[in-house]
Amino acid sequence: MENHITDFESAIAELETIVKTLEAGDLSLEQSLQLFERGVQLSRFCHTRLEDAERRIEILSQSGERTPAPETLTPSLEDGEV
Amino acid sequence: MSGPPSLPFGAPAGRAPTREVVTVSELTNRIRGVLESTQGEVWVEGEIANSRLWKTGHLYFTLRDEHAQLRAVMFRSAVRYLRFTPEDGLRVVARGRVTVYERKGEYQIVCEQLQPQGVGALQVAFDQLKRTLEADGLFEASRKRPLPLLPRQIGVVTSLNGAALQDILKVLARRHPTAHVVICPVRVQGEGAAGQIARGIDQLSGQDGVDVIIVGRGGGSLDDLWAFNEEPVARAIATAAVPVISAVGHEIDMTISDMVADIRAATPSAAAEIVVTGRDDLLGRVAQLGDRLRATLRDAIRRLFTRVLELDRRPGLAGWPARLAIRGRHAAELTHALTRTARSTLTTRERRLRAAQLTLKAREPGRRLEASRTRLVVAGERLGATIVHRRQRLEGRLGDLTGRLEALSPLGVLARGYAVCWNADRTAIVRNASAVSVGDDVAITLRQGQLTCTVTSKD
Repeated sequence: MENHITDFESAIAELETIVKTLEAGDLSLEQSLQLFERGVQLSRFCHTRLEDAERRIEILSQSGERTPAPETLTPSLEDGEV
Repeated sequence: MSGPPSLPFGAPAGRAPTREVVTVSELTNRIRGVLESTQGEVWVEGEIANSRLWKTGHLYFTLRDEHAQLRAVMFRSAVRYLRFTPEDGLRVVARGRVTVYERKGEYQIVCEQLQPQGVGALQVAFDQLKRTLEADGLFEASRKRPLPLLPRQIGVVTSLNGAALQDILKVLARRHPTAHVVICPVRVQGEGAAGQIARGIDQLSGQDGVDVIIVGRGGGSLDDLWAFNEEPVARAIATAAVPVISAVGHEIDMTISDMVADIRAATPSAAAEIVVTGRDDLLGRVAQLGDRLRATLRDAIRRLFTRVLELDRRPGLAGWPARLAIRGRHAAELTHALTRTARSTLTTRERRLRAAQLTLKAREPGRRLEASRTRLVVAGERLGATIVHRRQRLEGRLGDLTGRLEALSPLGVLARGYAVCWNADRTAIVRNASAVSVGDDVAITLRQGQLTCTVTSKD
């Protein structure tokens, strides 16, 4: 892939542009297919970033090491009413 | 009583008062004793002038009013507790002890404490830092960076035991259950807090994956929140590599860090609300874009398909290539057969003519030559006529065949399910049952492929 996807924000922005361009519909079939392919890639990336992430809470020590936070700092959703 | 008049210079007269001569040091020491014992600790009010902070950390200045001035010094041990910078022109109340600086013969006050007059020291410090940072452009709106839509990791600089952290984590758990949080635990009040907070911001800002930092604490007194009004924290926020959200105290508490930060949140909970767009909202947006994307491709394909079908249905185009190919092939085959037949016929006749000529020559008795020549001419003419006639017949047959070929359009007929029945060597089409006998083989041409069949009965 020539265009690397760097972050969620630019991915969703590019996806939006592609959808709008395709919806305008003044493209050749080849161009449409190329854009479509890129669009699918971006959409998949965004999904992955949203779905595959795992809840994690870490503590950063002064020496720069990360350790998982103690149980007391991981509130469950039940007592999450704020 | 008489005696010599006392001389101005001589041995001391017995009754003359004893002259006490002291050294400069001794006198200075005495004065110092008097001053220190009579004055002790004083509170003195005045305006600061000529203030200068030495490299040693000691602060020298003058306190003055309309009529007098007093030299003042504050040693490093006391300076470090000052929360504001003693600037010239500032009216203060100083607490200290009067003493003498022997080396210069000057008396001065050694200050233990300085308090700005009228407003509190913290307020003065706040205003001073605000002015400095403002001059450096740290509050400029153009410096404020937008927050990432979906931070990979969220850095939090706060106390591990504070309510602020609990609030932030609770809100994140609700709004963005898959958030990845990296906490940098620091003291948020008291000695050394500002330094720790500043270091925490630096450290998180350098962590790979951390896209945004929340720095803050819960509510408290002005003193409790003070670390967030100190310069190191402000500078750390300004130089952080990623956007910083400041969330200090309650809604009404406005700190210097709030002013420098890219975003000010009223409370730690609010900071957590701001830091991530709800995950469900984002999922919905991505899904919707995906649907629209697929819809555009479906439309594009449907449009193209319709166009191809339309073109295909036009009468001019339908079936043309196949028909052209069949006719072309047949014409070529027939022409070839015609040429071959004509050529071989001519060759045979020529050979016979030459043989006849040789016979003629051998038998030639001079006088029969004339008659023979006449016969030869006649034969030659007949030969020519035969060839022309044969050629005409073949051409006629070619025309006939081409016409029938067109009428039959074998592909179309065969496609409809008809078959063509040939005699065994495929030289003639069988049109009549009488053309074959029981036991004969016949060939059948179907639309796809050939069959060889045997006639088993006839009607």
